[in-house]
Amino acid sequence: MIAPALLDNLIKVLINLILATAAIIIVKRDVLSLVSTYSIQSLLLVFVASVLYMENANVMLLYLALLTLVSKAMIIPHFMERIQKKLNIKRDVEFHYLSPTSALFASVFIILVVYFFLFRILGELSLSNVFFLGATVGVSLTFMGMLIIFSRKQTITNIVGYLTMENGVLLFGLFLTELPLIIEALIVIDLIMLTLLATILAFGINSSIEEFHARLNPFKRFAAFKSRLLNNEGEDE
Amino acid sequence: MILSIYAIVGFVALLLILLCRSHRSMNALSTVHSLAYFTLALYTLLYVRLPSFYLQDRYFFIDHLGIYEALIAAVLFFFASVYSKGYVEGLINIGELDRGNLKLFYVAFNLLLISVTYSFFSNNLALFWIFAELTTVFSAVLIVTLNAKKNIGAALKYVFMASTSMLFSFIGLIFLFTLTEHALGAGTLNWDLLMLNAAQLSPTILLASFVFIFIGMAAKSGIVPFHAWLPTAYAKAPSAISAILSGSVSSVGVYGIIRAYAILHQTAAAGRISTLLIVFGLASIAVAAFSMLSQINLKKLIAFSSIENTGLMILGIGLGTPVALFWVLFHKLAHALTKAVLFFSGGIMHRQYGSMHAEEIKDALELQPLASWGLILGAAAIIGMPPFAIFVSKLFLLLQAAKLSPVLLFVVLALLLVAAGAFAMFLSRVFAQDGGNNNNKKIEKYIVPDGMTFSIVALIVIIFVLGIFFPQYLSDLLNNIVAELGIK
Repeated sequence: MIAPALLDNLIKVLINLILATAAIIIVKRDVLSLVSTYSIQSLLLVFVASVLYMENANVMLLYLALLTLVSKAMIIPHFMERIQKKLNIKRDVEFHYLSPTSALFASVFIILVVYFFLFRILGELSLSNVFFLGATVGVSLTFMGMLIIFSRKQTITNIVGYLTMENGVLLFGLFLTELPLIIEALIVIDLIMLTLLATILAFGINSSIEEFHARLNPFKRFAAFKSRLLNNEGEDE
Repeated sequence: MILSIYAIVGFVALLLILLCRSHRSMNALSTVHSLAYFTLALYTLLYVRLPSFYLQDRYFFIDHLGIYEALIAAVLFFFASVYSKGYVEGLINIGELDRGNLKLFYVAFNLLLISVTYSFFSNNLALFWIFAELTTVFSAVLIVTLNAKKNIGAALKYVFMASTSMLFSFIGLIFLFTLTEHALGAGTLNWDLLMLNAAQLSPTILLASFVFIFIGMAAKSGIVPFHAWLPTAYAKAPSAISAILSGSVSSVGVYGIIRAYAILHQTAAAGRISTLLIVFGLASIAVAAFSMLSQINLKKLIAFSSIENTGLMILGIGLGTPVALFWVLFHKLAHALTKAVLFFSGGIMHRQYGSMHAEEIKDALELQPLASWGLILGAAAIIGMPPFAIFVSKLFLLLQAAKLSPVLLFVVLALLLVAAGAFAMFLSRVFAQDGGNNNNKKIEKYIVPDGMTFSIVALIVIIFVLGIFFPQYLSDLLNNIVAELGIK
């Protein structure tokens, strides 16, 4: 059995690392490394959930960690990388209103404001230190994600911003172990659907309408698959 | 029990649509599906004791507000699917929709009906949030089934704005959950429990969570300043879908605000929430009214009018009196039906002229008398002319506003007049322009299929009847809702 104090410290370290990944996402220009930073961020989230599980022995956290690992650290980054290769966008150099440096300063400002805001609002609830840190970083991450969406032009970068927002909310949500698993799982599935849809739409912006529909429409894909299968059988004969 | 029948009907409808091949049968199934939901809602209203709860943790419930909203949605989806039969076939013929995307269209259509309905039946607010997010997914899919690149941009904007804002709503829900965990011992997001225990919860944290929840709901319903996605999405969507987006999907957001407001109304934070809602409502009406003035695209004009009407509803909720809420609820119904008339008529114009621009629509009264009268009567109804239904709700909402402050009445009235003026300008421009003899011969008359005619005529009759005759039963229902929401 590991001492609770050590686990608490571990969670604090992980949460700070998550914050660091968000900072990297804010300044990076290279799209591919944006996606891999995001997948590291998701992996850190998985670690937080696992450490929380060691503390609480709540099986739900383990399921959530697994769900996050499969969807956010593997499937979504893989999907985005494929799309990104297809679209051949290597760098997102266009920043709308903020340069990366000022965006970083803005993030520091966000974190401070969120901290004081939460301190005033949730102060009366005598929450644990770790919970409070999780809440602060979670909410800050959400706002930092929004900052990415507003300051970048490429849709694919915007999606990474949106995903960062999601991770912020999920980090915050992890500390609510009482929320029933079925609901937490549904939320994660919901978010995955939205992300996939957004990625397909982003793909559609830069490709022809036929290619887009071929990707969007599962029935068309199914039909294409069937006809390919039939054709193969024909060749065999 | 009722809820399982709802689920089974929805499941069977989806399954059959997946199996069938022709457009005709997919459309017929969608019509039957919405009709079944309508019947179920009526049956529930008449024979089931409300509120009734489902599942052991009471995740779902049906109360008067939920069933009223579900009923409106079913009516709207019914008319939209009847209208779609001819309309979608037309889209295919003209090449705007691929036959291969037909199945996707109808599957998304029915999934949207299911998720909208279930969002109204969710007692657990997190569950409500999930269904609300799903409505965004399916609406976006419906927008992009058309063969136009611009639709993808519109859908992307919609998905981004709605879902990023909804993440803030979720933060609000987490606040709420943490709060109940500390105040009541066990955390809950069940609306009935929150209502019951609202008085024991800290008003400050409740206020903070409401503000967060409000952001997402405001984006879903297109309240200024979260409305940027709405005009393009409504304008690019197929007209049958625009009607649904305006009447049902954005209604989910307003519904969420009503639920959250009801909780806050029981606490000391009620006054501040009211001010917030009135400010946002007023801003929406103002921005929408002035944007309408410069519109030359018919569908965008109608879309901005949706923002204006949602603004009026938010303002009405903010007034916080039982009478105001009563008329907000009626306005929801009247607005949904009237907007459907406008979008459906606009859809015919688009088939006829291939465009929604004012200068393209020529000799409309001659070529498309039904759509022309649909637009004229629909516009008269939406700006609040008697004898249509919206006249009544606008009148009483304005009277309630006057009670709070005469200045508010004056400002709202002036803004509503601006919006009315925008409709009048647009229509007089369209119907006054002469196509000239040369052009006239080139334009081939688009024959309106019966289903489209039926939907428009039936809806006009309904909003007319609702304007001159207010059934006692409806009034009892609305009073019940207001009482259940604890607005005193």
